[in-house]
Amino acid sequence: MKINHYLIGFAISSLFRRDAKSFFIIFIFTSLIFLLSSILFISNSIKEELFITLDSLPQITVQKLQAGRHANIEISRVDKLLKLNGVQSAIPRVWGYYYFENAGVNFSIVGIDSFDKQYKKNFEELVENIDFDELEKNDSMIVGEGVKEILSQNYYKDFFNFVKADGELKKIKISSVFKSSTVLESNDIILMPKNLVLDIFGMSKLKVTDIVLEVANPQEIPTISQKIKNLFPDTRVITNSDLRVSYQNIFDYKSGMFLALFVVSAFTFFMIIYDKASGLSSEEKREIGVLKALGWKIDDIIKIKFYEAFIVSFISFLLGIIVALFFVYILQAPLLRDIFMGYSRLKPAFELPFILDLQTIFLLFFLTIPIYIAAIIIPSWRVAIMNADEVMR
Amino acid sequence: MIECKNITKIFNQNRHNEQIALKNINLKIKKNELTVLRGASGSGKSTLLSLIAALSRPTKGEIIVDGKRVSKMLENSTAMFRRENIGFIFQKYNLISTLNSYENIILPTIPSNPNEKELTRHVDTLLEMFSITNKKESLVKNLSGGEQQRVAIARSLINNPKIIIADEPTANLDKKLSLEFIKTMQKLKQQNRTIIIATHDPLFFNLNFCDNIIEMKDGHI
Ligand SMILES: Nc1ncnc2c1ncn2[C@@H]1O[C@H](COP(=O)(O)OP(=O)(O)OP(=O)(O)O)[C@@H](O)[C@H]1O
Ligand SMILES: [Mg+2]
Repeated sequence: MKINHYLIGFAISSLFRRDAKSFFIIFIFTSLIFLLSSILFISNSIKEELFITLDSLPQITVQKLQAGRHANIEISRVDKLLKLNGVQSAIPRVWGYYYFENAGVNFSIVGIDSFDKQYKKNFEELVENIDFDELEKNDSMIVGEGVKEILSQNYYKDFFNFVKADGELKKIKISSVFKSSTVLESNDIILMPKNLVLDIFGMSKLKVTDIVLEVANPQEIPTISQKIKNLFPDTRVITNSDLRVSYQNIFDYKSGMFLALFVVSAFTFFMIIYDKASGLSSEEKREIGVLKALGWKIDDIIKIKFYEAFIVSFISFLLGIIVALFFVYILQAPLLRDIFMGYSRLKPAFELPFILDLQTIFLLFFLTIPIYIAAIIIPSWRVAIMNADEVMR
Repeated sequence: MIECKNITKIFNQNRHNEQIALKNINLKIKKNELTVLRGASGSGKSTLLSLIAALSRPTKGEIIVDGKRVSKMLENSTAMFRRENIGFIFQKYNLISTLNSYENIILPTIPSNPNEKELTRHVDTLLEMFSITNKKESLVKNLSGGEQQRVAIARSLINNPKIIIADEPTANLDKKLSLEFIKTMQKLKQQNRTIIIATHDPLFFNLNFCDNIIEMKDGHI
């Protein structure tokens, strides 16, 4: 079938004849698509980010409990844990939170060691180029971007004075800064040699914060956990599936927020549809009557209404998506992002990874455009099937 | 060419506001005749014209135009029938006021996807014929009553219809423009077209090229 460009031209000129109305609808439609797609893009990116984080979580973490609270665990237990069947590696970790009073934030200090494979997984590229001996000799650390920013705001450009457990100051140099573009929680992290961490926290050399295990067969995780509980009744054994659940819970809470926003936007959208569907202006009706009287068939009239609706909704859709992509991935979603991630002074430097999720875009397309087109066509069709002379009266 | 058999048109049948607009009308108009329909306001002239142009259907009776039973046609066939056979000049012109003259004139041709060159040539001839060439690009709402009427006539002629139907074409015109309209009708008759004009303008009542004058009263002839 040959495309009738006169019909398309007529549809376009109709839109321009009602320019104020057309632009208003495009504006509203674009804003809605923008809002909806921004929310979907952000939640997709965060989900992706979470999965990456979850993948790098240790399979089993063993903590000691004392009086119901987390206590440091004896390093001697490492060897006993290694003897359990199925356990491939057991790595003692030293980490903790350091409260930086001037800024009112907590840093996470993680102790690293040249022989700890475990960290190679989390901070792979980073750790590869580090000379651990140098770090230890020079009392140096590696800090996350967020940490660097907070410190320099407080005049600590190249070093920081930690207050040790005994009240003494410990001066540690900043040797380098690492980018935290892929690990959701790593922005507030400080990496330094284990011995320095023990020193700052005033911990015994015989104890560590926890022990993480790697098992040969992930299916055995529950059995091994049980064995550890039996071996050390004073421990809490956390598996990566436990962690997965708690991470998912955080995210589900956030997707609840997302749902609320979604509902509000959808509601507004349907209000417009309702308004459109509730009828044509008498001028629009008369125009349909005139066209019919001049020999236009019902489907000719439906066609121009379809073109009009499609042009308006498609332009709005494209605009909305483009603005949302720009807003989310280039501007990093100011304001909206805080709703999803909770406001923290340390978190803003975390970058939303770019994922072009075509499924989301198709979903949005099929949720909005056909509904809008139907809302335009149905009332026009109702008028078009009436007798022309009655419509024109 | 046009034959009405026993036509009755009742609006809002079986309702409290039932309105019998036409009662048992029988009528025959031959090819190339010019017919004037006259009668008081509300006598049913417009209703009869709509039926002949297949804009609506009679409650009873049959209408045959150019061998086709228009009163029984399906919706889409009536549209094709109008497009190919009827040039309608409406009582209130029914132009689309936010389009310019050119766009209004080509409206009846749009669904059949016309050839651009031929169309432009045809429109230019019509614009010239009605001395509105300089108004081609003007929005219709900015035209005078007489100019609007000439755009409406040009539009009714764009598809070269055999039958021209005009409903009160001179109601909004002064005497000079009315006489000009009559001259145009004479020209169209010379081009072998069949013309029906509904009017109560006395100027039409003793035209030498008029073939029939039909008097209507309360839905009767
Ligand atoms: N769609 C309709 N619904 C109800 N009544 C109608 C309708 N169309 C016409 N009528 C009625 O039918 C009668 C004939 O109307 P019509 O418009 O044919 O008269 P007319 O002769 O053209 O009048 P005028 O000279 O004022 O144009 C009038 O009483 C009118 O009210
Ligand atoms: Mg009338």
